[in-house]
Amino acid sequence: MIRHLLKLVWNRKRTNALIILEIFFAFLVLFIVGTLGIFLWDNIHQPLGFAPKDVWTVAISMHQTTEDYDPNQAPAFLRLLKETQGLAPVESVAGAMVLPYSTSNYTGGTEFNGRHIRADFNDVTEDFAKVMGLRVTQGRWFEKADETTAWEPVVINETMARAAFGAESPIGKRYGDPGKDKNADRERRVIGVIREFKKGGELSAAGNYVFQLKRLNPLPAGMKATSLERPPSNLVLNVRPGTPVTFEEDLAKRLQAVAPSWSFEIKPMAQMRASAFRLALTPLVVGGIVALFLMLMVGLGLIGVLWQNLLQRTREIGLRRATGASRSDVHRQVLWEQLILTSFGVLLGSVLVVQIPLLDLVGFIRPGIFLGGMLVAMLAIYLLAVLCALYPSTMASRVQPAEALRYE
Amino acid sequence: MIHLEKVSKLYRTERVETTALDNINLEIAKGEFISIMGPSGCGKSTLLHLMGLLDEPSEGTVALDGKAIDRYGDRELARVRNERVGFIFQQFHLVSDLSVADNVEIPLLYRKMPNKERRKAALAALDRVGLSSRTRHFPTQLSGGQQQRVAIARAIVGKPGILLADEPTGNLDSQMGDEIMGILEDLNQNEGATIVMVTHDPRMAEKTHRVVRLFDGRQVQ
Amino acid sequence: MIRNYLKIAMKVLLRRKFFTFISLFGVSLTLVVLLVATAMLDHVFAAQAPEVLGDRTLGVYSMTMRGPESIWSGFAGYQFLDRFIRPMTKLPSVEAVTFFSMPGTGISYLDGKKIESMVKHTDAEFWRVMRFNFLEGAPFTVDDDRSARFVAVINEATRDKFFGGQPALGKTLEVDGQRFKVVGVVPNVPILRISPYSDIWVPIGTSKTDAYKRELVGDYTGLIVARSRADFPQIKSEVQSRLKEAEALIPDPKMYKHLDGGADTLFEAASRLFLPGDSETSHSERLFLIFAGLAVVFMLLPTVNLVNINLSRILDRSSEIGVRKAFGASSWTLVGQFVVENVVLTLVGGLIGLVLAAAVLAGINASGLIPYAQLSLNVRIFLDGLAIALFFGLFSGVYPAWRMSRLHPVMALRGRSV
Repeated sequence: MIRHLLKLVWNRKRTNALIILEIFFAFLVLFIVGTLGIFLWDNIHQPLGFAPKDVWTVAISMHQTTEDYDPNQAPAFLRLLKETQGLAPVESVAGAMVLPYSTSNYTGGTEFNGRHIRADFNDVTEDFAKVMGLRVTQGRWFEKADETTAWEPVVINETMARAAFGAESPIGKRYGDPGKDKNADRERRVIGVIREFKKGGELSAAGNYVFQLKRLNPLPAGMKATSLERPPSNLVLNVRPGTPVTFEEDLAKRLQAVAPSWSFEIKPMAQMRASAFRLALTPLVVGGIVALFLMLMVGLGLIGVLWQNLLQRTREIGLRRATGASRSDVHRQVLWEQLILTSFGVLLGSVLVVQIPLLDLVGFIRPGIFLGGMLVAMLAIYLLAVLCALYPSTMASRVQPAEALRYE
Repeated sequence: MIHLEKVSKLYRTERVETTALDNINLEIAKGEFISIMGPSGCGKSTLLHLMGLLDEPSEGTVALDGKAIDRYGDRELARVRNERVGFIFQQFHLVSDLSVADNVEIPLLYRKMPNKERRKAALAALDRVGLSSRTRHFPTQLSGGQQQRVAIARAIVGKPGILLADEPTGNLDSQMGDEIMGILEDLNQNEGATIVMVTHDPRMAEKTHRVVRLFDGRQVQ
Repeated sequence: MIRNYLKIAMKVLLRRKFFTFISLFGVSLTLVVLLVATAMLDHVFAAQAPEVLGDRTLGVYSMTMRGPESIWSGFAGYQFLDRFIRPMTKLPSVEAVTFFSMPGTGISYLDGKKIESMVKHTDAEFWRVMRFNFLEGAPFTVDDDRSARFVAVINEATRDKFFGGQPALGKTLEVDGQRFKVVGVVPNVPILRISPYSDIWVPIGTSKTDAYKRELVGDYTGLIVARSRADFPQIKSEVQSRLKEAEALIPDPKMYKHLDGGADTLFEAASRLFLPGDSETSHSERLFLIFAGLAVVFMLLPTVNLVNINLSRILDRSSEIGVRKAFGASSWTLVGQFVVENVVLTLVGGLIGLVLAAAVLAGINASGLIPYAQLSLNVRIFLDGLAIALFFGLFSGVYPAWRMSRLHPVMALRGRSV
């Protein structure tokens, strides 16, 4: 039967071509929305690695170019840390170059066993892990003594550990092949691994992440200055639960008093989280709404077209009934034909869409996500096709053979 | 084999009630070749549709092989049509988007049967009507007579025993009509097919065993 | 003849309610999507108040310092603009040059409540290039900027927040610990118009430190107003050669060797922002291609849908067509009738779409998703919409009409064979 219907659909290709084309485009639209949706859904289910609750952030503008290094900045920053730590509602405070949920990135790449691996970097102070609630799974987090070692200690996330060192323990290993790690002034070594740190927040994809320790305290004589001695441009602080918002003005005044030439922007991390969500979800929601309406439109269109097609084939249906097709046979035939048509459209669409992961056109989305997007699109389009065929096929199965075959 | 008892058929529209058939009693024996004659609109086709289980009588009983069919459901009716009855129409009613062989296969699609056997049966039926060289053609590439022969092949492919032909020669010139008639007679004589044929043409009716005449839905003879 | 066509068209459409409904739904929906997108783009890129000179303005937006291992990208630095772009005012093709910073968040506390405002540092020339309608007062002057006077122009929203909507002229407000005297009040500018957008505008000289004066890459933007668009190529190449000159000032020549950037139209700049890549010239093209690709997919779907529906509508009436042909209507008459019918349908759908699009835009404005958004349908967008509707009407009608014209009258009368 299926073979017979395949032939029928194929022989009617001129009539069916436009329907197949329509299904092809509908598939593409569903694929785009589906892939985006699965991408975000998958990201949400990857561990975040930090606890944003009761964390406040302070973005500091030092109104200083990165070109000139002002030796007074580091002591000023340390005074800020000390002042903040002394405030009653503050549990712990740390400096960070890049804030979670922010859109800024600091990326560097180097070679590991000849393979170039890129990672996002963050330079932080000692208490960052405590403030953010990072979980160390191997080795240890930074200590005060690390600020004066002759080499540069780094802490990496598990994704980075796997990418750079495979199954081996990265603890004590050199970060980057000798002579290749040009981004650092000193040799870097891994001292610890944390479970995860998704800087972009829940909706972002997990990536390679590396922490370095700021060296704000005076260095032993003879040690060369590096960019790590410049203070970070953000504070993160963990406040006691139930701290009122009025603390914000208080904090701003204290900070302003310590460093009058700097500007401060205080924000609860919850607020940054909310805007990061909005930024990521808006395109999905807009795309989803448009796609929903498009599908509604396509659905109505398919019903109309199918109905019209069947109306023209009344006599064929009558003939099939006369030669022994039952009502449900007719019903089934219409549904099968619709499924076959849909499959043609889906096949075309898949051939096109599968090029994206194959040619690696959009690098930051894993091939598995595209596959998921394809499956979702297929499922949705088959569902739509069958739903659209139900009513016309019921009408077709009610055709009275005697009426249909009466000569005109 | 086909037994009609006190069969009437009414068509109701909103206001008008039309009597298509009025109290028809008819007995058709196995192996008979009968023709039904009468003017246009006298109910010939309706009668044929009732015998072929395409329609239900408003009153009376239709029995096939001694079994009344009024209590059959749609699925059973379809099965009986499929196994016992073959239809031939004036307009051939071939599916234009299917090849000749695929058209002939249609009745067999509603039976459980391997594809190969289905194709074999279809080719045999086409051979029987002398069209084995045209199996891959499409209906529009054939002459009217050839199309009707395809339709006959489709009617006999399932070996139904009963053939119901609705003006099979009505759309054909006399030479082609004779050809078709020849095939039907051959099927009746050599394969024992029971044939009921609706026709306008007295020349064709003469060749059958018995003629039933209808006028305004009533049997006049 | 046309009147007759229209009459028939209306009758047919009213009779075939199902197909008419689907067609209308499809057309209006497609138009809503397209019109909203058009309105947004229009809002960002079109020359309109206060950017009345937008059509002949080039901007030095993003700049990059590049070395063998390091890349440092940001906006233009003040030092570069001041030393290399400001002298361009002397060129005959340049009408004006203005600099301003990216808006930064300024924090104020008023009666224990926090107020966040966007603060933009600008020169005095800014007010000649951007033609604001001052509700109160006037812009600050060249002298204000040079003497670093703490004066500010604020927008309506800021006046509402700080002064409860009362006249603000001469009053002071405190932002990030600095006190400014209000010299002017202007209407709100939507965030989508990135060059003029801010809540508070203050002179560049009031910056907290003078570090900005040493930056090649920083957070400033320079706009160059040309006498005419024809001068763009010349200005662009002038900026390129000045960038080369400025490379001599790179503070750490070991780390960075090149200074990349250029004068772009806003659209070129947007494509640079969205598509950072290696090649310099192909950015706009790539952005255009991606937009075009998505638009094609999202537009072709409704088009194919409409073609399908129209085809069905025609075949549904094949017997009517057969009768008309039998009574002597030529194929062309029928095609004409059908195309008119289709255009009527799409125009009606287009009108519904316009109303819906207006509602969607009002919804976006009200939602506060885009600060100070004033998305609206103007005559230009309305005409675009009309053109799109006509395009859909013709395009989706032509193929079905062609199919119809080829229907054989006898076949049409009988409907298709089995």
